[in-house]
Amino acid sequence: MPSISAIAYKNLKRKRLRSFLTLLGISLSTWVLISLLGFNQGYERSLSTDIDNLGFQVLLTAKGCPYEAATLMMQGGAGLRYMPESVLDSLATQPEVQKLTPMLMQAVFDPTIGDTGAIAAFTGVDPATFPSMRTYLEFAEGAWFTNPTAMEAVIGYEAAELEQRQVGDLILVPDKNVELKVVGILKRSGTQDDGTIFVPYKALQQVFGVQGKLTSVGIKVHKNTDINAFEEKLYSLQDVQVVSMAQVKSTISSLVTTAKVMVMSIAIIAILIAMVGVMNTILMSVLERYQEIGIMKSMGASAGHIFRLIWSETVILCLLGGIVGALLALGLATLTESLIRYILPFSPKGSLILIDFPLVLRSIGIIMGIGLVSGIYPAYRASRIKPIEAIRSSEGEL
Amino acid sequence: MKKIIIALLVLLLLAPLWSAVGCDLNDPDKDVKRLFPGSTGYKTTYRSIQREGGKPLLAQIEKRLGDKFSGLYETIDIPYTLYTIYKGKSIAGYIHGVNQKGYYGGLQVFLSLDTTGRITNMYFQKISSKNVKLYKASSFTDQFKGLSLRDFDAYSVTKRSGTGKAASIHNPAPGDKDFPAILRGVKKNLVLMQHFANWK
Repeated sequence: MPSISAIAYKNLKRKRLRSFLTLLGISLSTWVLISLLGFNQGYERSLSTDIDNLGFQVLLTAKGCPYEAATLMMQGGAGLRYMPESVLDSLATQPEVQKLTPMLMQAVFDPTIGDTGAIAAFTGVDPATFPSMRTYLEFAEGAWFTNPTAMEAVIGYEAAELEQRQVGDLILVPDKNVELKVVGILKRSGTQDDGTIFVPYKALQQVFGVQGKLTSVGIKVHKNTDINAFEEKLYSLQDVQVVSMAQVKSTISSLVTTAKVMVMSIAIIAILIAMVGVMNTILMSVLERYQEIGIMKSMGASAGHIFRLIWSETVILCLLGGIVGALLALGLATLTESLIRYILPFSPKGSLILIDFPLVLRSIGIIMGIGLVSGIYPAYRASRIKPIEAIRSSEGEL
Repeated sequence: MKKIIIALLVLLLLAPLWSAVGCDLNDPDKDVKRLFPGSTGYKTTYRSIQREGGKPLLAQIEKRLGDKFSGLYETIDIPYTLYTIYKGKSIAGYIHGVNQKGYYGGLQVFLSLDTTGRITNMYFQKISSKNVKLYKASSFTDQFKGLSLRDFDAYSVTKRSGTGKAASIHNPAPGDKDFPAILRGVKKNLVLMQHFANWK
């Protein structure tokens, strides 16, 4: 005697197209759900990695608005303000400070890019302290600068690819007509450094005529330092502004919260549509088999048997739909990520969608739960069919 | 129906793989209208030496160029973006760009060509040079108009000399090291186009 689940499976196969379309609806809902939950996980992790990779917990910048400071740090933005280099001496005396690294951002209009020109950015760093802060940076070719004032450049992989540069080649600082010798090409790091041109900050000060000036100082503090208290202390320095990494994280997170809420709402709507689809399909199926169910009951099938049979159909649809949806989410993660990157105002460099096994299981569980709830009503109505009435009429009313 | 669904899925899955394209037009709609004013549309295709013939094809291309592909970034797996321009239902021409190593940075050398392989326009989407203005001037770029790959056959990109129309192109900045790189970029572009457009 066939099992209830085998009969349920056979019933679904009898109406292939309808079953396929329902399955497709459930799969798409699962895909959306897993992708969005994966995005929530992946975005947070990539953002944390991006910020942790900066190598310092506090960034001191010249006074300006906090959003400018965050932009400057994350994207090497414009609107530069300077602080005196002497600030390094004041910072070095602070007991909380473990390491310091001075930085100087410079941006210049390069008319040679495209038809209308674009901004070319240079990051001045200290060869003595910067590499120890960014330990994840590795070289594809060459090494860091030969001395702190050398007219040399170390280029991120993507910038080197765009400029077709190798160690020993020259690059030109637009507008200034100054040549810099390429001494190192970095390996791809998946961070903003891939697109950066690093120059010794002393050399960059000379090129741009901003001797004795810095745009920022990266500060690594000792373990167990109270960062909030330290930030307050730093404000005693004149014309500076303090940006902690936690602040940057929360600023960027708040920027994308609206987008997250919107996409989660879309996901909920998609799930509700799938739920209604499942209920409709099973109800239609019960309606069509009204007489058949009546015969089954007259031959000894109990209300419980009928309930389990109809419910099993829902379980099969949701389980298969959930699995197919999970496969879709895994297979199309790259495409989904590209779409998200296109929409979001700021995207960290790492993987934006993190789909792991627990997430897949959890999502299939949610879809199964929703499917089971959707299947209760049709299964209940089917189990209440009266055999005599059903046999007498070919179609029922539910 | 089944075939269409499979084809769509394959396209969706492959799209991210093709997204890292070497030398695209910054603004294709605008650039196509500018280079082919009478055009009615264009089609973008992604071509690759590796996929279309591998090392034997690369050897053929290098032979015609007269130089080896070299460096970290001139490799067999570079994807090339080819814009086929339409006027009504017929092909009006092509737009194709290549990256070429210059003295101070990467050059992006774009050519628009008619259906016989003659250059109708040449321009730099990107050029890092001390003589940008001279190279971008129409008095320089116009010299390439009407030339085809045959005109470059007698010009050696390694010796940086030769005879014929290509060798007689006037260098607006004598002694400047980007000039031979520009000629190599144009010749490389034409050699690749000969394969992509299947010109004999």
